Amino acid sequence: MDTQRRNPLHSLVAAAGGNSLSSVIAVLFVIVGLSALMSDNFLSSYNMVIIARALAFIGIITIAQSMLMILGELDLSLGAIGGFCGVVGGILMVRVGLPPWIAFIACLAIGAAFGAINGLLVTLLNLHSLVLTIGMAGVYGGLNLVLTKGVAITGIPTSIGFLGSGTIFGLPMPFLIMLAFLILACFLTLKTPFGRYMYAVGSNTPAARMLGIPVDKVRIGVFTFAGFLAALAGMLMVARLGSAQPSIGDSWVLAPIAASVIGGVPTTGGIGSPLGAIFGAAIIGVIENLIVLLGVSPYWQTMVSGAIVVIAISLDSISRRYFKRA
Amino acid sequence: MAYLSVDRVSKEFPGVRALDDVSLDIELGQVHTLAGENGAGKSTLVKMLTGLDRPTDGRVIIGAEGPGEQDSHEAIAYVPQEINLFVNMTVAENLFMPFSRTHPGMGLFKRRNLEREAQSWIERFNIHARPSDKVTDISVSDQQLLQIARACTNEHMKVLILDEPTSALTDAEVDRVFAVVRDVVASGCAVVFISHKFDEMFAISDVISVLRNGRLRATCQADELTQDQLIELMSGEEIDTDTRLQPESSPGDLLLRVSGLSGKGFEDVSFDLRRGEVLGFAGLVGAGRSEVMQTLLGFLPKRAGEAEHRGRPWKFGDTRYAVRQGLAYLSEDRKFHGIFPGQSLRRNIGMSLFHTTGKKGVIAAGRERGIVHDIIASYDIKTSTIDKDIVFLSGGNQQKAIIGRAMACSPDILIFDEPTKGIDIRTKMDIYRLVKELAENGVGVILVSSEMDELNRCASRIITMYEGRISGEFNTESATNNELIAAIHGHTTEEPAA
Repeated sequence: MDTQRRNPLHSLVAAAGGNSLSSVIAVLFVIVGLSALMSDNFLSSYNMVIIARALAFIGIITIAQSMLMILGELDLSLGAIGGFCGVVGGILMVRVGLPPWIAFIACLAIGAAFGAINGLLVTLLNLHSLVLTIGMAGVYGGLNLVLTKGVAITGIPTSIGFLGSGTIFGLPMPFLIMLAFLILACFLTLKTPFGRYMYAVGSNTPAARMLGIPVDKVRIGVFTFAGFLAALAGMLMVARLGSAQPSIGDSWVLAPIAASVIGGVPTTGGIGSPLGAIFGAAIIGVIENLIVLLGVSPYWQTMVSGAIVVIAISLDSISRRYFKRA
Repeated sequence: MAYLSVDRVSKEFPGVRALDDVSLDIELGQVHTLAGENGAGKSTLVKMLTGLDRPTDGRVIIGAEGPGEQDSHEAIAYVPQEINLFVNMTVAENLFMPFSRTHPGMGLFKRRNLEREAQSWIERFNIHARPSDKVTDISVSDQQLLQIARACTNEHMKVLILDEPTSALTDAEVDRVFAVVRDVVASGCAVVFISHKFDEMFAISDVISVLRNGRLRATCQADELTQDQLIELMSGEEIDTDTRLQPESSPGDLLLRVSGLSGKGFEDVSFDLRRGEVLGFAGLVGAGRSEVMQTLLGFLPKRAGEAEHRGRPWKFGDTRYAVRQGLAYLSEDRKFHGIFPGQSLRRNIGMSLFHTTGKKGVIAAGRERGIVHDIIASYDIKTSTIDKDIVFLSGGNQQKAIIGRAMACSPDILIFDEPTKGIDIRTKMDIYRLVKELAENGVGVILVSSEMDELNRCASRIITMYEGRISGEFNTESATNNELIAAIHGHTTEEPAA
């Protein structure tokens, strides 16, 4: 390797590459450090809790999306599933009067079922998951509107409020729940045969089939788990807000995909892990938080965070090209 | 002075010296063959010639231009081993892509002009297709010729590099490629030819350069070299290529009986496989042999027919069932049907070990490492670490890893589909010995191959297929090469044995 030619820019680009987990973590630390320098309030515990809470919801969807992306699939209806399940949960609790816990569990089951429907359609009809789930997002999002007529359902029982706004040792409940599922997801993908099958399907589907790997079952399983996680995020959001907003999940579509790519899971599948994807989500979360702290006009915020995603994945691609050549 | 000179070129990769002080001259009007085992440095050298990569030391001099060589790489045309065409576009479109010569600037696209111009190329290269045919619809050999023709549409071309252009072709089709090569040489260009087949090297070459472990061993006039000398130069030792390697045990119980099987690309195929035998399947590319095997595996759908495995009816359409019943299939297409790119060697092999390493639902990492190490040792897989991404292993080592992975499931039927395609002679012999050993241990082996030599050497019986049907069955001891070749071309000289 020609070490003499490696200039500082090269090293920076390589480190930002995010191809390996350590470089994603390094980038996160650099950004956290810069943020702390740029804003005095950044490192305050109040602000940290804000970041953690925001990360919790996007993070749960990111876990789901990254597992699908390892398979080489995408589900653009996860946000719609989350929103629909939140609304159904609100209806079950407020209008039907079911005990909150039963409503909660029922919604998780509905989410898993919707995920399974996506998975079944993808495998049985051999559909492209990106296109299918754009359509399914319309179906689930439309059902949401049919049920709510666009009006929020208020009066959610306070007994489940703890799940949304409670804290343990100062850490928000949704964040802790996200961590628990992150550990579960990492265990599943990295330590079990099922997880290895996921990587096999993502890196070479025909070879996986020829080796007797149950490709379709793996796909349907991961879609189901992703639907379950989407419903969980939706219900936690309802618990947090104390009302079921029909708009829950609207912003959960693109950020988790960007987070996964930044965290080392390419859309082509086969490599990366949910852990890397969560660090990717954290990078996006910190940057979005910093934009607010710096008082950037709200009208600019969307544009700036979009541009940062583009820059991050461009750096990733550039660094990969450097690695190839070196 | 030679048109293309490689002057003391070395190339280093992390931990490997892929080329070490190599010098050679390539003269116009000659076929210059690069010979060497897998990993000898042929591909790296080709990358230096095409300008795809740069030497660490030394230089490549093109034409009389000397040091300022960068731009003159356009005189070098390269045809890769794999078919690399736009399969959903027409022959004419593929020939002239990206149309900078036929449609300079932003002119309107005129299909008729393009096809008229394509016709002369098709005739010159003897491609059996019309300019308007889609590339998916023409045969593999025509696709290969089309790739060569496309390279030759470059009017600055002086050197044409052909990287194993014949590895997917049968002997008759190879002749068509060679006719084209001679035509190109006669027009005053040089051809750099890479192949693993000795008869081809001697048939076409003027000069042969042998590489081993990144060093140039020798450059010889082809007619002053014998095959044994060449093998010795390539391998550094004498390899006995004459030995027959049929299993010495006699066939045992009936393992598999296939009756009247029909599917995509084949009709009414019936055969028996016994324990301890190596059953060869001969035929032209596209005769339907791989399709039969992939249908048995459950990868492709069957249309009619049935099979019995150890007396029990066989279930089609379910690869998981087939693998669990003890059938392992090693595809001819390592890249698309074999390896898991981006995954480590450990994970690639570990994929078949879960019956021992994944019993409790969690992978026993230590145990997995141990077994993978054993497999690497017993199949002599060369790698620096078991965590290396499998795409960085050479083709031969990838093939050994896949064989090791298949064997880890202790299959009783093992189907090798072109197991030695693109593999050097030494690894080939290793694989042949392995096939023999497996059969002697009671496995029923099916060997699908387009190389007569391979089938004659390894198989106990040979079934020939022609256009999707069985055209003959032969005992290797008694069959002559002529009979076999007639049968794979559809001229049946005797009825298939019952």
